[in-house]
Amino acid sequence: MTALLELRESLKKIYSRNEAFILPVIKFLLSFIVLSIINGKMGYMTKVDNMAIVLIVSLMCSFLPTGFMVFFAMIFVLLHMYALSMETAAVGLVVFLLLYLLFLRFTAKEALVVVLTPILCMIKLPCVMPVAMGLIGTPASCVSVGCGVVVYYLIQTVITNAPTINSMGAEEATAKLRLLIDGMLGNKAMLVTIAAFAITVIVVYLIRRMSVDHSWTIAMIAGVMIEVLILLVGDLMYDTNLSILSVLLGAVVTVIVCKIIEFFRFCLDYSRSEKVQFEDDEYYYYVKAVPKMTVAAPTNTVKKINTQRRPAGQQTRTSGQGSRPAGQSSRSMQSTGRTTEGTARSVVTERTPARNGVPYGQQNGYRGYERSGGRSVTIGGEHTNQQDDSDDYEELF
Amino acid sequence: MLNEEKVILMTQMASYEENEGKKNMAIGRYFRSDYITIQVLKSILCATIAYAVCFALFIFYDFENFMQDIYKMDLINFGRNVLLYYGITVVVYGAASYLICSLRYAKAKKSLKCYYNNLKKLNSIYNE
Repeated sequence: MTALLELRESLKKIYSRNEAFILPVIKFLLSFIVLSIINGKMGYMTKVDNMAIVLIVSLMCSFLPTGFMVFFAMIFVLLHMYALSMETAAVGLVVFLLLYLLFLRFTAKEALVVVLTPILCMIKLPCVMPVAMGLIGTPASCVSVGCGVVVYYLIQTVITNAPTINSMGAEEATAKLRLLIDGMLGNKAMLVTIAAFAITVIVVYLIRRMSVDHSWTIAMIAGVMIEVLILLVGDLMYDTNLSILSVLLGAVVTVIVCKIIEFFRFCLDYSRSEKVQFEDDEYYYYVKAVPKMTVAAPTNTVKKINTQRRPAGQQTRTSGQGSRPAGQSSRSMQSTGRTTEGTARSVVTERTPARNGVPYGQQNGYRGYERSGGRSVTIGGEHTNQQDDSDDYEELF
Repeated sequence: MLNEEKVILMTQMASYEENEGKKNMAIGRYFRSDYITIQVLKSILCATIAYAVCFALFIFYDFENFMQDIYKMDLINFGRNVLLYYGITVVVYGAASYLICSLRYAKAKKSLKCYYNNLKKLNSIYNE
């Protein structure tokens, strides 16, 4: 466990130092994956279904704000629909326009969710997004998740009806329009999925905010179970032909992904270095504020004094242990080469690190967090055998 | 001589102004009634455009039958139904916007309260 915590801290340090490079790379990879999946699933316009175009657009998205990734994804989808037929593109444009005018005005920060939800649904991991948004978002996130589901079913309807639309002539414009609108409005699977995702987001949010131990774990398991249950009930009621195996597999992957999100959740509040300028009557100030990285500060010092005699000339051990995993007994740390005669008294101090840099407002969010092992220091000229340590004192945590 | 407490306070305030303070100050600049009125008007405009788009799609869905029945149907009744549904859409969406904007305004004001308290603290340091 401590190794994982140290890994997290080192990843956090690497990210803080290289954020200017890492963030554009992540955005490039994300937009590349999104556009490639769109091209792979649709691919009706060959001019756009081109690796060079995808790379150029992904490169642009890496430098532009995140909203542009959503914009370019929408453009790609509309272009593929236009290649199929004008009516398909019109329906697609109307759906995107309605989503933006009515819903995304209020959830603009979560526009990326509208892109990621259909992508995750396409790669058979539909359960991830609602549970993840319940953990890191607000109840309003169910709106953006619902919009993502609508976009997914729009794309699925177009893909399903593409052969029929291709076979229709230009004079059957109304028929094509009717085919797509009926496919969208009559889609009970879409309604069931939206309901399942919305309920999951709200339930996960409510549970993870509770003041119980392991609230995050309980929330993600409850969210996954509710989602699977509603999807199965919907499948029974409306005969939506869901693959139960894929749903259960997706649920397992969801729990794993959400566990990773939980592990890195404090990193989401990473505060980067900031440069600010201001002035007063006397000076101009050019200030660079660098956030302190998490440092294990002692909050708990326990001294146990044992009266014991030690044989003289006993060999010392090299010190230099870092924090150790919980469960192991603490050992004394000594400098190399010291040998003393047996003394009558040893003092053992154990130090517990503070919580890892949690901002004040979030300290109550997760009380079940396990503390990493502390470091024990033996003060004085005492040195003991490793095996003797476990008899002298107990591990406190 | 530099007053460290003053510099730290000014740095925090400058950082707030550059990040979340921008949006909160843009909201806080209005009176509550003015801000909510502007946002609700924008929402009504968006709802009108959305309704117009949906109505156009509805017409084109069954365009041939609609053009055939247009001379036979009760246009006044049809118009009344269209306006009724439009009214319901605008009222519901406007009410939702009102609630959301009220919450947003309250949250922005709460955040700005801390900022203004820091401003008072800074003022008191200057007056020392």
